[in-house]
Amino acid sequence: MTTATQKQPPASDRHRNSTIRAVLSPWREVPFLGWLLGALAAVMLEHSVGSSLALTLGLRRIPVLFGFELMLKAPQHIPGMLVYLVLVYMLPAALVAVATRGLTNALAARLLQSPALSLAVHLVLLYGCMHFWCALSDYRYLVAQLALIAVMLTLSLNVINGYMGEFSCSHPGFMALGAYAASVLTVLLFVEDDVFGPPLLPPTLGPFLFPLALVAGGLVASLGALAVAIPSFRARGDYLGVITLAFTFVVKSLFENLEIVGGPRGFMNQPNWAGLPTVFVWAVVCVAVINNFVRSTFGKALNAVRDGETAAEAMTINTRRTKTVAFLSAAFWAGVAGGLFAHVVGYINPATFGAQKLAEVLAMVYFGGLNSVIGSIAGGLGLTLFSEMLRPLEVWKWVIIPMLLVLVMTRRPTGLIAFREFDALKLLGPRGRWEGGVQDGTAGG
Amino acid sequence: MRMYRVLVPLLVLSLAVALGLSGCAPTEEALPIIKIGLNVELTGDIPKVGESCKRAAEMWLEDIEAAGGLEVGGKKYEVELVIEDNESKPESAAAAATKLITQDEVLAIVGPNASKVAIPAGEVCNNLECPMISPWSTNPRTTKDRPWVFRACFLDDFQGPVVARFVTEEFGFTKAAVLYDVASDYPKGLAEFFKQAWEEIHGPGSVVAFESFVTKDRDFSAQLTKIIASGAEFLFLPQYYDEVPLILKQAQELGFDKPVVGSDSWGSAELVKLAGPLCHGCFFSTHYAAAGAKGATKEFIDRYKEKYGEVPDDVAALTWDSVRIVEAAIKAVGEITGDLATDRKAVRDAMAAIKDFQGITGRMTFTEEGDPIKAAVIVRINEAGEFEFYKFVSPE
Repeated sequence: MTTATQKQPPASDRHRNSTIRAVLSPWREVPFLGWLLGALAAVMLEHSVGSSLALTLGLRRIPVLFGFELMLKAPQHIPGMLVYLVLVYMLPAALVAVATRGLTNALAARLLQSPALSLAVHLVLLYGCMHFWCALSDYRYLVAQLALIAVMLTLSLNVINGYMGEFSCSHPGFMALGAYAASVLTVLLFVEDDVFGPPLLPPTLGPFLFPLALVAGGLVASLGALAVAIPSFRARGDYLGVITLAFTFVVKSLFENLEIVGGPRGFMNQPNWAGLPTVFVWAVVCVAVINNFVRSTFGKALNAVRDGETAAEAMTINTRRTKTVAFLSAAFWAGVAGGLFAHVVGYINPATFGAQKLAEVLAMVYFGGLNSVIGSIAGGLGLTLFSEMLRPLEVWKWVIIPMLLVLVMTRRPTGLIAFREFDALKLLGPRGRWEGGVQDGTAGG
Repeated sequence: MRMYRVLVPLLVLSLAVALGLSGCAPTEEALPIIKIGLNVELTGDIPKVGESCKRAAEMWLEDIEAAGGLEVGGKKYEVELVIEDNESKPESAAAAATKLITQDEVLAIVGPNASKVAIPAGEVCNNLECPMISPWSTNPRTTKDRPWVFRACFLDDFQGPVVARFVTEEFGFTKAAVLYDVASDYPKGLAEFFKQAWEEIHGPGSVVAFESFVTKDRDFSAQLTKIIASGAEFLFLPQYYDEVPLILKQAQELGFDKPVVGSDSWGSAELVKLAGPLCHGCFFSTHYAAAGAKGATKEFIDRYKEKYGEVPDDVAALTWDSVRIVEAAIKAVGEITGDLATDRKAVRDAMAAIKDFQGITGRMTFTEEGDPIKAAVIVRINEAGEFEFYKFVSPE
């Protein structure tokens, strides 16, 4: 390992504390693949010995969300919990990641020759981690589903609020449109219901046609987004903000008065088809599509519109088209997320898609970081998990989370990881001394 | 191999701590702890509901602790109340229920109260097979086709006919007017059930005015003018306590002098504060009456008042009955095996089999849907502004 440190660039000399650097340096050479492998090892370890270890440590059961809620409820368990976290998560993950770094770097380099394959392998590993982690508890499973849906919502709102720089408040409305449209379709077609009567199609077809229902939900949301996109041609800033806010309330009011979908009493009986694999696949597709979208010429046009609409126009950017596409695609993904949400919870009512949902999504966008895909992922996952972890604090949770937001806003006014481009292939490549070889390899291939 | 210099001591240290901890960890009790989950609205738009529910449940726990535990089949079990906040959000209620069932391993769940959170939580409880009882949810769908879900309150489709029958018997009126909020689930449902029941008694067209408004409307003069012109003999007003005073005031100004009858949503001390003498003499149907209560009900009210400094509202009373139904069911099981799936099934079956449970909000027996058959209370607001018991109206 010392050889590894010697190969570090001379920049490390500037740092006084070279011991820490030396200790950390092997980990700097671990590629993403290695970390995934480490995480997988950790969750599999937890799967096999987690509960007996927890019992040995005096904990009644496996700490569900990294032990946070147990620490808050029973502080006497904090040492045991920390030991558990170190023994089950940190040590195995770190050791496996470091021990296999030669192998994983070589593998990462090899895989990169076929980016699609590389992506697929990483995603399978990532899903494997989630699968084993969630297999231990239904609660984790549900939290993971909700967190992934939150990521989709955050990311799609970031397209408008971050990349296009408009303050849009219409996301709960888009979500409601998608949720209701997808729910009505699945209930009408595949479920025996009081209002809609017997299923029109055999229910066994349901899970296969479910993606189509979600897409339909997304399209309905897109259609609704026209109501916001067209005014955005002329209105900007606060005025557009008010229009989008009005849109949310119009949609909410619409469903309150639509008796066929239950009115204010809400709509239920959605079949339980949005399992973790389904939500995961949709979230991955959403991230991939939006990431490609914002990195394309269109994405740059969005930034141009944000930074100076007149200048963008002068640069031959069709601003109207840009805005329409941004609103419609953001609404589409919000609608799909809404459809998934409805099928995860199994019940929706108009009040869910109101000001509170808006505040949540906005907080996730601004917490994670504007104009950044990775920031949105961090914001959606982070705030959902955090708000679950802090649930035992009851009212204090609503003191701590806003304080955290204030803190982030004062330190980083645009969010934690703002204005960063997300280059998946760069992330997936090898690290450290293996990095150079790959560049040669890719240059050759 | 410098990193091992750090890692090895870390590993040894953590193992040492682990062993030390396991040594001093409390030895396992011989008897399992009975855990009751409480899935309540402590934050969000109706925190008062969650607070009342939590307070009543904690008062119950005190009783159990004072008795040295819950006695089941001759053995005393320690009882623990696991409280989860559901933020009045459907998805959070589902998450809280999942957590209570899978993580905290509760035997049964009390709550949520509001229907919008009780419906998704009921779905989770039914799927994961854990008995749940909602103190306050009135939407029929909370318990419909869900054998594991119960409730302690009567439904709107019972309350509507109760009011219709009470008015017919008490005053002998034949022409009714209704004013309700079309955008809010509870008033709307109740208004429709009342209309249906009234027309069954007095024939079609006997509801001479069926007027609606939208949540947060503040001017009702158009609707009230129509109601006055319709020649109705009384007004049924299934609205919340914050809207009732406004409507009463405007009705008086427009010259409406007929009786006004309300529903259980009137049952808040705030109503009398806001409406003053305007509401004196009005009747409403509800779960229980605080003033003039007798026996166990009075005992509960006095204790609650002493402990928390306020008269318990219907959520508190219904929660009290809910936890006691759970208690009765556990006792009826007669044996705690320690195997959760078996115990939960046994508790559910015992709960479904409960006959004539004597609660402070009335005597209850569950139907097949898990809804109680119980009497409603008609309350008269007396001249001192107190909610006075007037009469029981039993189900047919």
